[in-house]
Amino acid sequence: MTAVGIETSGHDPALEPSSYGHEAAVGREAFERIERTWRSPAGFVGWFTQVNHSAIGLRFIVTAFVFFILSGLLGLAMRLQLAMPLNEMLSPEAYNQIMTVHGTAMMFLFAIPAMEGVAIYVAPLMVGARDMAFPRLNAFGYYVYLIGGSAFFLSLALGMAPDAGWFNYVPLANKTFSEGYGVDIWTTMITFIELSALTAAVELIVTIMKLRAPGMSLDRMPIFVWAVLVMSFMILFAMPSVMVASAFLMMDRLVDTQFFIVENGGSPLLWQHLFWFFGHPEVYIILVPALGIVTSIVVTFSGRPLFGYTALVLAITGIGMVSFGLWVHHMYTTGLPFMGRSFFMAASSMIAIPSGVQVYCWIATLWGGKVRFATPMLWVLAFFGVFIAGGLTGVMVASVPFDRQVHDSYFVVAHFHYVLMGGAVFPLMGAIYYWFPKATGRMLSERLGIGSCLTVFVGFNITFFPMHILGLQGMPRRVYTYVDGLGWGNMNLLATFGAFLLALGFALTLFNVVRSLRHGAVAPDNPWGGSTLEWATASPPLNCNFIQQPVVESRRPMWDWREAGSRTVVAGLSEDRRETMVTTLLDARPQSVMVLPGPTPWPFVSAVAASFGFIGLIFSPWFFPIGFFAVFATMVFWFWPRHPWRKK
Amino acid sequence: MKARVLVDASDIDRFAPHTHPLWWGILGAVAIEAAVVATLLTSYFYLAAQNPAWPPEGVAPPDLFWPTVVLVLLPLSSFTMWWAGKGSDRGDQRQLSIGVTASVTLAVLALVARSFQIAEFDASWNDHAYGSILWVITGFHYTHVVSAVSGTAVVAVLAWRGYFTPERQLGVVVDTVYWYFVAGVFLPIYLVLYIAPRLL
Ligand code: HEM
Ligand SMILES: [Cu+2]
Repeated sequence: MTAVGIETSGHDPALEPSSYGHEAAVGREAFERIERTWRSPAGFVGWFTQVNHSAIGLRFIVTAFVFFILSGLLGLAMRLQLAMPLNEMLSPEAYNQIMTVHGTAMMFLFAIPAMEGVAIYVAPLMVGARDMAFPRLNAFGYYVYLIGGSAFFLSLALGMAPDAGWFNYVPLANKTFSEGYGVDIWTTMITFIELSALTAAVELIVTIMKLRAPGMSLDRMPIFVWAVLVMSFMILFAMPSVMVASAFLMMDRLVDTQFFIVENGGSPLLWQHLFWFFGHPEVYIILVPALGIVTSIVVTFSGRPLFGYTALVLAITGIGMVSFGLWVHHMYTTGLPFMGRSFFMAASSMIAIPSGVQVYCWIATLWGGKVRFATPMLWVLAFFGVFIAGGLTGVMVASVPFDRQVHDSYFVVAHFHYVLMGGAVFPLMGAIYYWFPKATGRMLSERLGIGSCLTVFVGFNITFFPMHILGLQGMPRRVYTYVDGLGWGNMNLLATFGAFLLALGFALTLFNVVRSLRHGAVAPDNPWGGSTLEWATASPPLNCNFIQQPVVESRRPMWDWREAGSRTVVAGLSEDRRETMVTTLLDARPQSVMVLPGPTPWPFVSAVAASFGFIGLIFSPWFFPIGFFAVFATMVFWFWPRHPWRKK
Repeated sequence: MKARVLVDASDIDRFAPHTHPLWWGILGAVAIEAAVVATLLTSYFYLAAQNPAWPPEGVAPPDLFWPTVVLVLLPLSSFTMWWAGKGSDRGDQRQLSIGVTASVTLAVLALVARSFQIAEFDASWNDHAYGSILWVITGFHYTHVVSAVSGTAVVAVLAWRGYFTPERQLGVVVDTVYWYFVAGVFLPIYLVLYIAPRLL
């Protein structure tokens, strides 16, 4: 890495060209025409036709956080129930449903979609594209997620929620032991929601590979974009496994196939293999983009170029690949052959290597810079602390003998909340503080932000640290209560107290967001002095993202421009069609121009048709062909070409 | 801030079907489907390994005649599809129309053959895991042929109506890629469902 002649010290927004003169760049008339071309229709009906990535990305994020709040409230309910021995607030049935919905929703409805949302919002801006490659598919994916997620939560309100835990093990989840519709809702809705993850993944991959601004060769791509790319490939290869598993289970329950029925040649362990072949990478699907967020923030707030770019790219890719070879460590207690277990134990420990490389890169980047401890950076520091603690217990449970002791105890609950909260929630909070000004044009309050970060950090540790001890003392997970006299009461009470503190911390950020939307200070284009292209557009971004698409000559276009006093751009794109550059895969040489579709209601109609089919499947197999042809019909209208534009 | 223009897009192609992002998108869809097929086939072997006899006692492996007919028909339909694409590249609308229509016809014949074969299965999906996985893999592929046929039928109708001018070939190119996949993926399925039980 060559150091460039950039001042490393404190960033001064006053020196930043606070506006790049978006309007002046092309003249008022052209500016308005372009913005009209890219405008999303307003109003209630208009909402269902919007396709711009900034609109869809924001919806993903907001919806994911609504599900986060709901699932968090369920977490509080569980903590209340467990606060003292033999508490009777929740019945065992209610506890099981709440626990299952909390776990499932946090993983499938919050963590992954939130990461996808940030990716959909930020990645196209970072690569200098005007929109994503398939805007309508993007919208379709969102409606699928919204409808599927809402149906899932609705089942809890109706008291018919799934109750077999978030990994839904058979035989417990078989019809014999789980009557009612709960597990059916799990299998259909999870399969359905995965569909939206898959569309987002394809969309992100193609956008990143083909729509990068001219000059942004692969080795100039921001680390966050690399991370999103790796995440998307992981989704592509991991999700099919859980979809197949849940399809098997759905059919076992619906049309009496025998996949998991031992008496007739089925195998419950098949479920575990398929589920964890997805389930382990899923943790990294969540973690990898979070690492990208952390890197973005570290670079910006240290004010200097990233140390070890190539090493970081390799580390992130390595984590993505190795994570596919680890699933069996969730199955150490299922009586697998000894050799097999040892292999997976070694592989599980190997993940420590790329993780270590990353931490060193971040430290080295921060080392020489004058670090500004603004709120996004504080969340990153909290992430370091929590995630490293989770990593340590991770190394512990990766070892077979230790895991066989603590398996299914509260030690594991503590471990994965350290990893998931540390690895996903803290970076996401950092992302909110970091990109909120870009997305809304307003700054968040720093004071409220600092208060929120501290409260969450302290509350988190008070909630989950005692669970390590409880686990070692033998408290099993997934119990709705415990008897007096085991000595678990105090620690549980402490954890419950912590959970409320934690909730208060999140509430502070929620308040901050709501308040700042109206009263926050107006944000300039590049409030933090970031080096990547999302800061080159207005805050909030223009409809077209970039009034002139940028051309990139290094890894840090914004800093280059600041030094040179001029921007480098593309000219000659249409003002009346939605056009964006297509470039070559490796070195991003201009290749062609893509004409993108505008607003349309068909993705919404299609998603409704698909939901109809999937929700119907809970009750009858006939909804499979019905849904199939309904979706096909809507797709024909969707793809019916309406713009017979001529060659100019 | 001043702007330096480094790329002028005025004369860059707007209608490049073979490098179009949609082409990459379909490749992504194919990758997902391939992962699903791989998972299904792995599950087949996993279940086979868990059972003392596979197919279970008293169940015959599926007959080879109809699947072999399908194995011939599907590549043939890919060939006509390829030929149609050649026509479309040259702007020959007639060749395109004939080609896609031939493909749809061949694939419909393949569906008929496949239906005969399904009717002959010795195992039902609901009495043994063997039957379950056999039916599911078959049903999965059947559904895909149906969707490829439906999509291509629309393309055929549009082609006969002269819709696919050189600027609009994209639909054809993309449909073709998907078609190759649906046809090609039958080979591993054939090997696993029909040949493997005879060798195991
Ligand atoms: C917001 C604060 C949170 C609280 C208070 C909380 C609390 C809890 C509690 C009490 C349990 C039940 C343990 C048991 O009975 O075995 C649990 C389980 C779980 N939580 Fe959380 N949690 C929180 C956040 C999260 C987050 C952010 C995630 C993931 C992104 C998550 C994922 C899970 C999972 C997967 C389970 C396991 C469910 C199962 O056993 O099937 N939680 N949580
Ligand atoms: Cu794991």
